[in-house]
Amino acid sequence: MAERRFSLFTRGQCVVLALLAATPILDLVFPSIQLSGPMRTVVVYAILALGLNIVVGWTGLLNLGIAAFMAIGAYAFGILTAEVYPFQVGFWWALVLAGAIGAFAGWLLGAPTLRLRGDYLAIVTLGFGEIVQDGLKNLQTITKGTEGINPLPQPTIPFGGFATTVLEKVGVVSASLPEAIAGSTAPTLAGPRWYEISSETPARWFYLYLIVLALVIFLCRNLEFSRLGRQWFAVREDELAARCMAIEPDKAKLKAFAAGAALAAVAGALFASHLASTGEPANYDFQVSILALCIVIVGGIGSITGVVLGAIVMVGLSNVVLPALTQAMQRAGIGSTENVLSSPDNYKYLIFGLALVLMMRFRPDGIVHTRKAVKK
Amino acid sequence: MSAPSLIAVESVTMRFGGLTAVKDVSVDVKQGTITAVIGPNGAGKTTLFNAITGVYEPTEGRVLIAGRDPQRELSSRVVAGVVSTAIATAIFLAIIVRVETLWQAAIIDNYVFQRPFPWMKAIAGFFTSFFAGGFVGTWLPLFLGAVVGGAGRLVIWSRTRRTPDVIASAGVARTFQNIRLFPELSLVENVVVGMDRRLHTGVMGAVLALPAALRERAQARNDAMELLSFVGLADRAETAAANLPYGHQRRLEIARALASKPSVILLDEPAAGMNPTETVDLMRLIRAIRDAGTTVVLIEHHMRVVMGISDRIHVLQYGEKIAAGTPEEIRNDPRCIEAYLGKEELG
Repeated sequence: MAERRFSLFTRGQCVVLALLAATPILDLVFPSIQLSGPMRTVVVYAILALGLNIVVGWTGLLNLGIAAFMAIGAYAFGILTAEVYPFQVGFWWALVLAGAIGAFAGWLLGAPTLRLRGDYLAIVTLGFGEIVQDGLKNLQTITKGTEGINPLPQPTIPFGGFATTVLEKVGVVSASLPEAIAGSTAPTLAGPRWYEISSETPARWFYLYLIVLALVIFLCRNLEFSRLGRQWFAVREDELAARCMAIEPDKAKLKAFAAGAALAAVAGALFASHLASTGEPANYDFQVSILALCIVIVGGIGSITGVVLGAIVMVGLSNVVLPALTQAMQRAGIGSTENVLSSPDNYKYLIFGLALVLMMRFRPDGIVHTRKAVKK
Repeated sequence: MSAPSLIAVESVTMRFGGLTAVKDVSVDVKQGTITAVIGPNGAGKTTLFNAITGVYEPTEGRVLIAGRDPQRELSSRVVAGVVSTAIATAIFLAIIVRVETLWQAAIIDNYVFQRPFPWMKAIAGFFTSFFAGGFVGTWLPLFLGAVVGGAGRLVIWSRTRRTPDVIASAGVARTFQNIRLFPELSLVENVVVGMDRRLHTGVMGAVLALPAALRERAQARNDAMELLSFVGLADRAETAAANLPYGHQRRLEIARALASKPSVILLDEPAAGMNPTETVDLMRLIRAIRDAGTTVVLIEHHMRVVMGISDRIHVLQYGEKIAAGTPEEIRNDPRCIEAYLGKEELG
């Protein structure tokens, strides 16, 4: 790490962000596939994996229950925003609160368990994942069980409505749009306002998620080069040596756990908003934790750029490319619904497994690797 | 007594099961001196270092650093931590066991769709329901939560009373016999980690890269570069520690230990694996450290190093201290000669 002047993003981070930012352009070129909607899940998983990267990549703790924190974030967001509950806070406040609740949950789990070593911690986090999922399923009164909490609101561009109202009052913008004066934010026949986001404006929605991802990358990057980041690396590399440098590994690990959980919870909140529902608790099962882990490993453990790239590759493949391919084949009459083998969608886990094996064999540090040591 | 003792090892015994690795050893280290601990392999030198730095808890005896036993005291902060943890876990447990009932009483019973929510009524409903759980629903979880939370926090405190980070915070830095660098971090980063106890950046500063945090980081890197030039590694500052040759890794470990500005530095076999030129450089370096005001304690087998730089030498054999004195005295002590060379056979 050469001493860098303060810059927002590194070159690699700019590249992956630009790569993602180009998706809605593809929508314009190929109007039939509409990537912006499914690509939101790529952003959600990128944030989830960045959270996991703090714990696994930087601090060296194996966390197999990151999906639990995603679920906590999603349900916190659901309870805070849904109309069936009295809180009904706005999207952005709910996002921040979900992150805070996630961090608290991570701290709560971490405080008594982080003194466990390696495999034992992995088992505890694995169990925690299952407990949270079961808990959410059974707390019918609060979580609506398998129905999920819905409908959940879409995001709005912060202060967009306020700014428009002010501008119109001042007279900068023509005040001819009646719903602004009426104070209603519901889309009218005239179509959504510029600050409103719905399924009709997939590109806008996607860009908003992308901005959240950019913010998360920025915060992660700050952490990476901070005192806290160094403490995490030191604990990962040699815990006893770190201790002898007056670092308290328990505290550093707890902070890593809470930070990772907070990001996972933010990802969960974005996911719930994306679905307009928390969905059923099984949406946040062990598979999700493993997918997040695969993203981190394939992308490049410890590298922010790598993790985002991993999310693009893995989730892009499973949520965008394969379904699109399946659809196209069905439209062309090649695939049949009766033969499971003829649908590319069903090859998802085969491809994941192969990708992992090949990565481990040929590029064990991931697509983007951070290791400076030359291993011979 | 010319200078005050910086480290006073007072009759320390270390037992591992039936094995006594260190037996009733007392060592006195004066400020501003170089003290060597020598002895055959397995004599208990590294165990003594580990007992001093908190890796092990001495079975008997104690180690005073600058006149006091560095430990996490049962301070008011610890007590407050225990009490608050107890209360928090108690409330948490009592809520979690009846969470659905409480939710029903507070939220569902009071919320009518699209009607303003009666917050005060909800809070009242919550508390009424909270205390209506009877012995099993309210008081038992409260009690159990308080006991488990409080006891857990207390146990953690008692087990971490004398961990290496406490000793390190008291100004004792060390290196390791089998080098323990942070292999994937660069040289500068290794040294900056060593500096950690002098840094102040908190979580918020780190996350938001606040100006104070950035200033501190730049300052820390400058200091680290200075230390690297002090040990002669400045030209490779950005390479990963794992890529350094062995002798340089030892120097880097010393730089990392010095980074915390310790009052005393413990070097465990710093000359191991070094060639004669490197050894001479090392002797010069250790003298420079002492002259800069840091007390040095070292374990070493190279007699040239030990005899050349030590002000005082302690000799261990089979876990017991058999002699102590100046290099001249040790060189002529028959027991030390015997320990190192064996008894002279006559005839």
